[in-house]
Amino acid sequence: MILHGSFAIWRRDMLVLRRSILSELVAVLAYPLTIYLAFGVGMQGYIGLVEGVPYSLFIAPGLITMTAVNAAYNESVWSLWFHRRVQFTIESYRVTPITVSEIVLAKILSGFTHGLVKGLVVGLVIFSLTPFRFPLEHLASYLLFLVPGSALFSCAGVICGTVMDKPETIGKVEAVFIMPLIFMSGLFFPLSSYPAAVIPWVRALPTTALFEGARLALVAGSFQYGYLLQVTVTALVVFVAAVWIFRRKLSE
Amino acid sequence: MTEPLNPSAAIVVRSLCKSYGNLMALDDFNLEVERGSIFGLLGPNGAGKTTLIRILTTLMRQSSGEVFIEGLDPASQGLEIRRLIGVVSQENSLDRYITARENLELHARLHGMDARVYRQRIDELLELMGLTGRQHDPSDTFSGGMQRRLVVARALIHQPRVLFLDEPTTGLDPQSRRAVWDYITSIAGSMTIFLTTHYLEEAEQLCDRIAIMDHGRLIALGSTRELKESLVGGTVYQIEFGEEVERYAGLLRGMACVREMAVTGRTVCVELESWECLSEVVSALNGAPVRRISIKERTLEEVFINLTGKGVRE
Repeated sequence: MILHGSFAIWRRDMLVLRRSILSELVAVLAYPLTIYLAFGVGMQGYIGLVEGVPYSLFIAPGLITMTAVNAAYNESVWSLWFHRRVQFTIESYRVTPITVSEIVLAKILSGFTHGLVKGLVVGLVIFSLTPFRFPLEHLASYLLFLVPGSALFSCAGVICGTVMDKPETIGKVEAVFIMPLIFMSGLFFPLSSYPAAVIPWVRALPTTALFEGARLALVAGSFQYGYLLQVTVTALVVFVAAVWIFRRKLSE
Repeated sequence: MTEPLNPSAAIVVRSLCKSYGNLMALDDFNLEVERGSIFGLLGPNGAGKTTLIRILTTLMRQSSGEVFIEGLDPASQGLEIRRLIGVVSQENSLDRYITARENLELHARLHGMDARVYRQRIDELLELMGLTGRQHDPSDTFSGGMQRRLVVARALIHQPRVLFLDEPTTGLDPQSRRAVWDYITSIAGSMTIFLTTHYLEEAEQLCDRIAIMDHGRLIALGSTRELKESLVGGTVYQIEFGEEVERYAGLLRGMACVREMAVTGRTVCVELESWECLSEVVSALNGAPVRRISIKERTLEEVFINLTGKGVRE
């Protein structure tokens, strides 16, 4: 597969991101910072230490990861839906000499880049405004989780943006599927809070592997290969599914 | 054995069928479009025009039958075909978040064009379409006519050999429509143009040959003149009277060779069995205050309505 088509579309998406980066970042920063202030600072006195660290520090890596994957998902799902159903640009791409796989790969890459950029910006802001600190040498391990994590959510966004024709359905999926998956994965509380019978099921979720693995990598410098493998394999499977579903939908 | 392709045909369609469940959108459709010609496809809503154009532009697979674009088969040579075609779709598919020039640059890159080549080509096209002064504005700030011209420019960026125009002037004011027509006429001969339209005047003005389709089938094919001549029915004359229109209309109504008649103001429109009946009519009107007798030209619209009916389609 020659990827000049993917690169051209990704370049267009980055041009749009560059032009709207300030307004995008205001919106992106508001949500995790509000959560951080409300839960991390507001509830800190009531919760105390969680797994040996203050609550505000416990949730900080999860908030950065959440921002990244949410941004990846949102960019992919809304971009694909908008370009397919409203602006018909996908149709205009399809009459050029590029493959359908190049289009879907471009959208996944764009979602992934959005996730990475926004996650890192939120990380920087949390780092500079709060007492949350981590050894810089842990950053590379953390990014090893963030990269397949953002790709996974970007692929999930492509699938939703492909199969859903109504915008309200996209909102519902986010409310009943994406957000619960993120929130149940140990973002706000340790997995040990779950009943023992539930823990293996929660651990089987790729989002748990992502949030737990990312936090352990960033805060403790502990690299969980199993978690990374789980996130990466899931991302690959969802990528293949995204390409297949997109091709199938467009051939209808 | 498969029949050899006509070497002068840019588009060949043979026994093409496309069904959506029980609905037959294209039914044994056959067509050949000469290279370098402007070909018009007419049909009421739901006739199958969009399905046909989607198959020709590789956006959709047929259920059965064969299609060749410049000798290439869309089923196995889609990428090669898309290098040769330009498409102006019904929908305005411009990217509203980027400027007019960026829209063109994006498509040039999708066509794998070199930056040095496409920059010059974009300058030429923007100039040709009268959009140079607005090239750095987002396309959603453009009027409908400007947007349409930009879509046409986008379809021409890679100098296609076959240009598909799916209702290119729908929703445009008469001036913008004329501008698009002028441009299509100016590029005629340099590429094959396949045009679908609801404006019969547009087809009449622009097209060398016209096909009329309905219910997924080709029902008429020819030049405008051939289609008009094929219209079943006698010759129609308009007779304008100075006075006593009703009296002479009554007289004409009683004549055996008058097939149909309509009165509008002082003018009586009569359809005669044949042109030979005219002398009989003139004799009958001897002494009548006739101001003018003229032959009424058949219009493409009459051909269209005659073939596809008057009923409104959903």
